[in-house]
Amino acid sequence: MDVDVQDTREIAASVQALRLKFPGEPGFVFKDLSLTVRRGEKVLLLGPSGCGKSTLLQVLGGLIPHVMEVPMKAENIVIPLSRGYVFQDPDTQFCMPFVDEELAFVLENRGIDRIHMESRMRKALQAVGLMLNDLHVPVDSLSQGMKQRLALASVLLLAPEAIFLDEPSALLDPEGRTQMWESVWSVAEGRTLVIVEHRIEEIADRVDRIILFAPDGSIVGDGRPEWIFRKFHRELQQFGIWHPGVWEEFGRKLESGQEKNGNSETEDRPDPLLSLNRFTGFRAGRPVIQVDAASIYPGDFIAVTGPNGAGKSSLLLSLMCLLRFKGQYLLRGAIMAETAGASWRQRKRARPPSDQIGYVFQNPEFQFVAESVKEEIGFSLKIGEGGNVPELEGKVQSFLRSFHLEGLEQRHPYQLSTGQKRRLSIASAVVRGQPILLLDEPTFGQDASNTFAILDYCMAMRAEGAAIVMVTHEEEIAKRIATRIWEVAEGQLSERPTGSCADAKARMIP
Amino acid sequence: MIEFLTPNRSTMLQRVNPAVKLVLFIALLLVTVQTRRIDFAVNQAAAYTLALFVLGGFTFRKTLLLVLPFGLLFASSSVTMIFFGKGDTLWWHWGLLRITEESFYRGLHLGFRSIAFAAEGLLFVSTTPSVRLFYALMQSFKLPPRFAYSFMASIRLLPMVWEEFLIRRQALQVRGAQVKGKGLKGLMEHIRMYAVPLLSQSIRRAHRVAIAMEAKQFNGKGRRTYYYPSRVSWSDGIAALLLILVPIAAYAAAIAFPWIGIADVRYHA
Repeated sequence: MDVDVQDTREIAASVQALRLKFPGEPGFVFKDLSLTVRRGEKVLLLGPSGCGKSTLLQVLGGLIPHVMEVPMKAENIVIPLSRGYVFQDPDTQFCMPFVDEELAFVLENRGIDRIHMESRMRKALQAVGLMLNDLHVPVDSLSQGMKQRLALASVLLLAPEAIFLDEPSALLDPEGRTQMWESVWSVAEGRTLVIVEHRIEEIADRVDRIILFAPDGSIVGDGRPEWIFRKFHRELQQFGIWHPGVWEEFGRKLESGQEKNGNSETEDRPDPLLSLNRFTGFRAGRPVIQVDAASIYPGDFIAVTGPNGAGKSSLLLSLMCLLRFKGQYLLRGAIMAETAGASWRQRKRARPPSDQIGYVFQNPEFQFVAESVKEEIGFSLKIGEGGNVPELEGKVQSFLRSFHLEGLEQRHPYQLSTGQKRRLSIASAVVRGQPILLLDEPTFGQDASNTFAILDYCMAMRAEGAAIVMVTHEEEIAKRIATRIWEVAEGQLSERPTGSCADAKARMIP
Repeated sequence: MIEFLTPNRSTMLQRVNPAVKLVLFIALLLVTVQTRRIDFAVNQAAAYTLALFVLGGFTFRKTLLLVLPFGLLFASSSVTMIFFGKGDTLWWHWGLLRITEESFYRGLHLGFRSIAFAAEGLLFVSTTPSVRLFYALMQSFKLPPRFAYSFMASIRLLPMVWEEFLIRRQALQVRGAQVKGKGLKGLMEHIRMYAVPLLSQSIRRAHRVAIAMEAKQFNGKGRRTYYYPSRVSWSDGIAALLLILVPIAAYAAAIAFPWIGIADVRYHA
């Protein structure tokens, strides 16, 4: 195998006849894949989850096999002379606690003299639009979007000819995403960009070339964005890839489904499932979320929106009695005892109302308690009902079916794919048939097919009379699917009208 | 916890080269360990506690908060020695508990040394940011950068593990997962419930950090420059002199004005 470090001026990176296989996996990730990226080109690698695009990015950038040892073979590989990477997770790209130290780390690696460091750091930060007067600020005081821009700044200090971006905006809120891509485009001039990204609103029309992959890792299409979106529309839909118009398609599908149910609105609203009055949630003794008055009715789909750190998660946690709260909290007519200011003995008695409210955490792995998928779903049932084994068995089977987890009964929850984990976490949260379901950013970092699968489940549960409360950064969910929007800003909850397509939505309320 | 232990006051000791300071403090700790004279131990405990208030990196209130548990430390380390230590001059006994003159003084001696030890440690920690220490170790003691940066990176990851522990606890509450079994079996169950998710996250995170570091051309080879230079200056000499003076003064005071006047507390049968 030859690994050339860029011999021709024309080619930035290329592989010929690449074969790559992860140890312990049955199939090849790539079989005889050839690909060339020209200098200065801005390329987007697009494909369904698990098709190997991130792996390919690591091969093109020389991380595989030099940094990560993965068995691979290729006739010829060219990697760019100088290159930098921005990774997905803003929290695991830095090794130093302060901004200046982190940037200095790169310069130290390159052996740059100390006296030149500060001016270079300032220049790089300026290039990505991070205006800091004092460079010695903790990395953790930056927002997630700013952290990604800091990662980009540290990449610039490597003076890279090519920049590789591995889903850099997947874990950002919309504002952070916009700002990060602005920074990327402002430094892209004269450089080669190779991007892997699921969410493509900000980039689809600015890249020169899209390479579309099939689930088996082969190239389906390679060309200009407009051409790809026009020619391969069906594949994009089929693979569950984000593409322009994907939300409209989902909206149409929903409406046609709703039509059949007919219009049963106009009647008086039933009693609320949950109502709050002068409710305050506390974290470490400090009030973090305040609600003057709010109610949740059967059939509600409430999108909880607002900037990071505003108190959205705190709201869900205090509804689940995981944070102490004060004020009136009625759950299906029953008063929940205040836990703020209560005695230790009283607090000890307070349990999360798991039989009434299902809760889906942001990271599914944290809520798994059992050793297999089947036990995981059965776990909550056993606590709830105890006894009657055949009936329990049947219920578990029906849940496995409706969440598309058949055939995986004996698998350990950790060994599932991202989408399967997410489905299992929802299945195990709702298995007791709770009338209220709280979800903390369930669509975060998911591809289109997972996102719509989650939304489908939520809509199905809603049709059965459950209420959905979903924390989300996804404007489209708030706009198209939610029946109500709760906005949380600076620890204060307020209800917002559902915006432009309110009439369309009115028909959708069952 | 990390925020709590971040120094919030700048003193002379903070400007001392961390490598020099590390050597000095190791020497001071050795002196404390080797102390046999009880009055010297008392004086050291007093002197270092005082130094903690004057030169330590924490404000007076926080220092006070940290010093209060010293009483507990004193009691816990001295009581066993007082009750069970060997000795000939019996003062009091009840069943297995025997207090002799020798064991009593040995217990006090142990307690004071524990205080001195704790105060020295806090004095070092409260005036030395970990990043500066590792930079100084890399430059002055030729600590390989790959170790230094691994440590610094892992310190950054610690608060995330704590946060995840809290999330896991909440998730278990929501799922109604209760630990089955008591005693050792319950403990094992506890570990299984928490360790698997926390470890799997931490390992993946550490792997990602390592790749990010290598992607930034960190390879442990080649010439490095340092953002924080590790220089030894006059102020280091002064600090060293001052820190050496403390045990000498304590020793001199113990000789000149003895409290109890036992030169060697060890028990010789």
